[in-house]
Amino acid sequence: MEAALTSAVPDGTPRQLDPQFIAFQRVAGWIFTAFVACGLFFAAIVVWLTAELPKWGNLLLPPAWLAFSAGLAIFCYAWPMLEYRRTSYVLDDRGIEIRSGVLWRAVTNIPRSRVQHIDVSQGPLERAYGLGRLVIYTAGTDHSRIELPGLGYHVAFALRNHLLPRGDDDAV
Amino acid sequence: MPSENRLHPLSFLFHLGGQLQQLVIPFVLVLVGAGTAGVGSAWVVPFLVVYALVAILRCLSYRYRFDDSELVITTGFIFRNERHVPYARIHNIDAVQNIAHRALKVVEVRVETGGGDEPEATLRVLPFGALAEMRERVFAGRTPAAASAPDAAAPPRPEARTLLELRPRELLLAGFIDSRGLVIIAGAFGLLWEFGLFDSAMDRIFGDAVNGRGLVRQFFRAVAGGGLPPLNRILFAIAAFVVFLIVIRLLSMGWSFIRLHGFRLDRIGDDLRAEFGLFTRIMATIPLTRIQTLTIREGPLHRFFRTASVRVDSAGGSGPRTAAAKRESLAPIIRSSDVDRLLREVLPEVDFAAIEWRPVDPRGFRRALKAALIFYTALTVPFVLMLKWWTFALLAALASWAYFDVKMHIKHLGWATADRAVLYRSGWLFRQLTVARFTKIQIVTIGESPFDRRHRMASVHVDTAGASDASHRIRIPYLARATADDLFRRLAGEAARTSFRW
Repeated sequence: MEAALTSAVPDGTPRQLDPQFIAFQRVAGWIFTAFVACGLFFAAIVVWLTAELPKWGNLLLPPAWLAFSAGLAIFCYAWPMLEYRRTSYVLDDRGIEIRSGVLWRAVTNIPRSRVQHIDVSQGPLERAYGLGRLVIYTAGTDHSRIELPGLGYHVAFALRNHLLPRGDDDAV
Repeated sequence: MPSENRLHPLSFLFHLGGQLQQLVIPFVLVLVGAGTAGVGSAWVVPFLVVYALVAILRCLSYRYRFDDSELVITTGFIFRNERHVPYARIHNIDAVQNIAHRALKVVEVRVETGGGDEPEATLRVLPFGALAEMRERVFAGRTPAAASAPDAAAPPRPEARTLLELRPRELLLAGFIDSRGLVIIAGAFGLLWEFGLFDSAMDRIFGDAVNGRGLVRQFFRAVAGGGLPPLNRILFAIAAFVVFLIVIRLLSMGWSFIRLHGFRLDRIGDDLRAEFGLFTRIMATIPLTRIQTLTIREGPLHRFFRTASVRVDSAGGSGPRTAAAKRESLAPIIRSSDVDRLLREVLPEVDFAAIEWRPVDPRGFRRALKAALIFYTALTVPFVLMLKWWTFALLAALASWAYFDVKMHIKHLGWATADRAVLYRSGWLFRQLTVARFTKIQIVTIGESPFDRRHRMASVHVDTAGASDASHRIRIPYLARATADDLFRRLAGEAARTSFRW
């Protein structure tokens, strides 16, 4: 809890996500890979049974399936690390600034005065890793909902408490 | 205690009318079904009677009263419902009057608060005088609560100032210029033609000599076959197209004349009030503080007639999902020389005369050109079979067009920051200029694509509330990285410093 609270100190220094996020992302990616591989496996069987492929085509099916699935699994192993390195957030008195994106990078600045409300959500897999995601809602159009996944669950709550609008100005 | 007000005695007619409109399709289905089943349609009548009774009861039970700080609406005999709408939460009191309303001197009033797309309350219908009374009561205590504090000392009933009044001639011009969307009709028309819907008419006009069906297909086949179709056919196609364009424009002019008839934009205190319509008259209120962005649009025809059109995105709401976003036209058409005057009234905090436009990075030209050339090259590939070596001629033509187009595009991209707003303009044929006040900025994002990174550039995107799909977004591309960072810091800082009010 101590560490969690210090992570939400509005000191204006960039902070990284919870390292557990890498492991979580990999597992999530592999689950996805398993689904895709299963789907392709059945698709390949259907093709093998119905379509009249030349002999080399039939021979090519299993290695192609294996290569694609393995490739996807490797990608799902490597990508979370890149994403982790590229994602950070800066909290200060005025709001939060999120940098994200590996190829297409973006820095999103959300002033505290524009926060409408905030959710902290947690899926079953995230719970296993003690992670939570912060979902910030604004009145904007393209960015009416901004997600910051991969935070420690308590950190997410601390961030939420810091970012929620104070009762000093009654908007609307 | 303030007295209770009722709806106009004839309200049930309009309620009934509204319900009947919803029921038309089910009724038709029922009638058709009943007809085939051999049962008379008489059994529909009880339904109608029940509906009429419900409408009458609902109207009789509908009361509203003005309390000190809220509008109280009670409805229902059996299930009573009392709704309290605080005056401070009321954004708009809009009114609609169609022909029937006008004949009976009544008006349908919509009370809008921020939440939801639906009006908070629809009073259908009130005597015309009640609208003015309601506005007066609801907005009486408005002035001190309004965001612009310096005006607090202003007299309680500010006089109305007319900002814009459109004469029929200008309405026709607006319709003539602004006939977008009809392109779709043109496409549909062409499609029908291709599939032979107009064959009989064609035959009657031209005899059997010309078969209208598949003109374009024939044309392409002829070109691919190495010859051109007969000249008269080409001329006919061109003439038909021109006639069609004229018809479209005429329709658009007529529609504009009917819809915007007697357009008037007034400023009353801190509200803009627009009133327009020939048959259905709409009276809309746009509080100045609810204007999120303002966009000036200017196409080639606008420039030819020295005019422009002005729109605003306005939004109100208490939650991000429920925010009722509206794109509203402040000026369907306005003389270019009058735009400044209008802007001064609508956005007094922005000094348009002092704005220094800044271009995007000139290196953007080469990047955009490269992208355009790749696109056009891909586009010409399918023509290789048909045109053989002539493909290069086509490519050359497209490339020179791309060069010109991109040059103009980059030249007309521009951005600026004023004391209290950010401005962005784009487009060279159809120009758009958008202003967002710092107080209305929600989120600022700086984006960097791999291509941006290679050229050390970035883009800045300003997100505001209430933008619709067709809105001109502030998304400034091709900025040098340092410039983008400065702009991003500035805008983010300004947004954080100010507090957002709907």
